[in-house]
Amino acid sequence: MYTLEIDNLHKRYGSHEVLKGVSLKAKAGDVTSIIGSSGSGKSTFLRCINLLEQPHSGRILLNNEELKLKPHKLTGDLRASDPKQLQRMRARLAMVFQHFNLWSHMSALDNVMEAPVHVLGISKQEAREKAEHYLHKVGVAHRKDAYPAHMSGGEQQRVAIARALAMEPEVMLFDEPTSALDPELVGEVLKVMQDLAQEGRTMVVVTHEMGFAREVSNQLVFLHQGRVEESGCPREVLANPQSERLQQFLAGSLK
Amino acid sequence: MLDFQLIAEHLPLYGRGVLVTFQLLIIALALGLALAIPLGLMRVSKAPWLNAPAWLYTYVIRGTPMLVQLFLIYYGLAQFEAVRSSFMWPYLSSATFCACLAFAINTSAYSAEILAGSLKATPPGEIEAAKAMGMSRAKLYRRILLPSALRRALPQYSNEVIMMLHTTSLASIVTLVDITGAARTLSSRYYMPFEAFITAGLFYLVLTFALVQLFKGAERRWLSHLAPRKA
Repeated sequence: MYTLEIDNLHKRYGSHEVLKGVSLKAKAGDVTSIIGSSGSGKSTFLRCINLLEQPHSGRILLNNEELKLKPHKLTGDLRASDPKQLQRMRARLAMVFQHFNLWSHMSALDNVMEAPVHVLGISKQEAREKAEHYLHKVGVAHRKDAYPAHMSGGEQQRVAIARALAMEPEVMLFDEPTSALDPELVGEVLKVMQDLAQEGRTMVVVTHEMGFAREVSNQLVFLHQGRVEESGCPREVLANPQSERLQQFLAGSLK
Repeated sequence: MLDFQLIAEHLPLYGRGVLVTFQLLIIALALGLALAIPLGLMRVSKAPWLNAPAWLYTYVIRGTPMLVQLFLIYYGLAQFEAVRSSFMWPYLSSATFCACLAFAINTSAYSAEILAGSLKATPPGEIEAAKAMGMSRAKLYRRILLPSALRRALPQYSNEVIMMLHTTSLASIVTLVDITGAARTLSSRYYMPFEAFITAGLFYLVLTFALVQLFKGAERRWLSHLAPRKA
C-alpha cells in the first residue's frame, strides 16, 4: 500500500516532450528526493502531481484514491474530471514553492490560517491555535504579525512550510524550497525539513541540496531528459552512481 | 481688488453647493464601484462572452467625453416619446438623477479598468499557492484575488475619485447648483466672474486635499504590506 503513487506520467510542451513516462511510489514516511539538472523535468513532474501542470497521460493515486482525469477537447492534456475531487486531493497534498508564494496582503498568521478555515472549514479559533503551533514549530512564531514582504527569505519559507503543515497533509511536496535563498538562510529551512522527515512525514522534495538528499531522504530519483535515469537508496546511488549521466551530474554539482 | 464682501455674503450659497457636489460624488462613486467590481472581473475573464461586453462598455465610455454622455442622458433621451411615457420618466427628467447616472456610468468604466489591471498584476505564484491548497475558483477570487487587487488599486483609484470630484462640476451645466453652479449664479448675477470662480476653485482645492488625506489613511491601513518596513 503506497501513500503516493504516480504511474507513467507523460507531459509535453508543444512537440517537446518533458516527461517521458515517470513513475514514483512512496510509502507513508518516505522522503523522496528528486534531483537532476535544470530542464530534466523534475519541477514539472512535481507540479503535475497536484495538477498545477497538466500531464498528457499517466495516473495519480493518493492512498489508493485515483485522481479522475479526462483529456481536454482541444489541447489533449489531462484535466480533473471532478473539480471537487481535485480540490480535496490538493488539500491533502500541501506544496511548498521555490519562491514561497505567500499571500502578500496577509500576515504570517493569516497565511497559515487561511486554507484550514476556508478550505477545510475548521473554526477560526482552532485554526489560530494550529497556526500558532506550527509557526512556533518552524521557529517563526515571533513574526506572526509580519507581512511577507517584511520578512527574510528564510522566514518566509518557514512560514510557507507552516502553511503547508497546517493543512495536516498526507504528503508534502517541496519544489526547490531552498533555491531562492541566500546561502546562510538555506540551513534554517533544511533543518526544519529534516525535523519533519524525522517525524515520519511523507515528503517529495525536488532539490539541489545533495547533502539533504543523502542524509535525510530514503529514496532518490535522478531525472534526466524526462526519464528516471537512476533511483534507489540515496547513499548507495550517490556513492556509487551507475549511469554516466549521474556521474557527470554529481561531478558538476560537487565542484 | 477682490470684492470679499460679495464672496462672504454668498458663502451660504457655496455651502449648499458643497452639499450638492458631495451628494453627486458619493452616489456616483458608490454606484460606480458596485458596477466596477463585476465589470473588472469580466474584463479579466478568459471567456469571450463575459469579457467582450465589458470590454465594449469600458471602451465606449472611456472613448467619449463625459459631457457628451451627460447631454445624451439628460437632453437626448427626452427626445423619445417612449422614454417620456415610461415609468423611468420621473427619474430621467430629474437633473440630479441624470447627473448621478452619467457620473456613475463614467466612473464605473474607469474603475473597472483600474481593477482589471490590478487583478492582472496579481503575482501568479499567489494564485498557484491558493490552487495548490485546494481552493475553489470562487474562493480564490473572494479570498485572494479581490482583496489583494482592491488594495493594490487604491493609489490609482484615489486619482479616479479626485477626477470624479472635479468632473461633478459638469452638473452645473444641466441646471444643478453645485459648487460650480453657485459660482455661475454669482457670476451672472453680479458679473464678477473672477470672485465667483476663484471661490469655487478654493472649495474644490480644500475638498481635494481632504480626499487625498483620506486616501493616505486608507493606504496606511490597507497597503502597509507593500510599504517598506518601518525601522
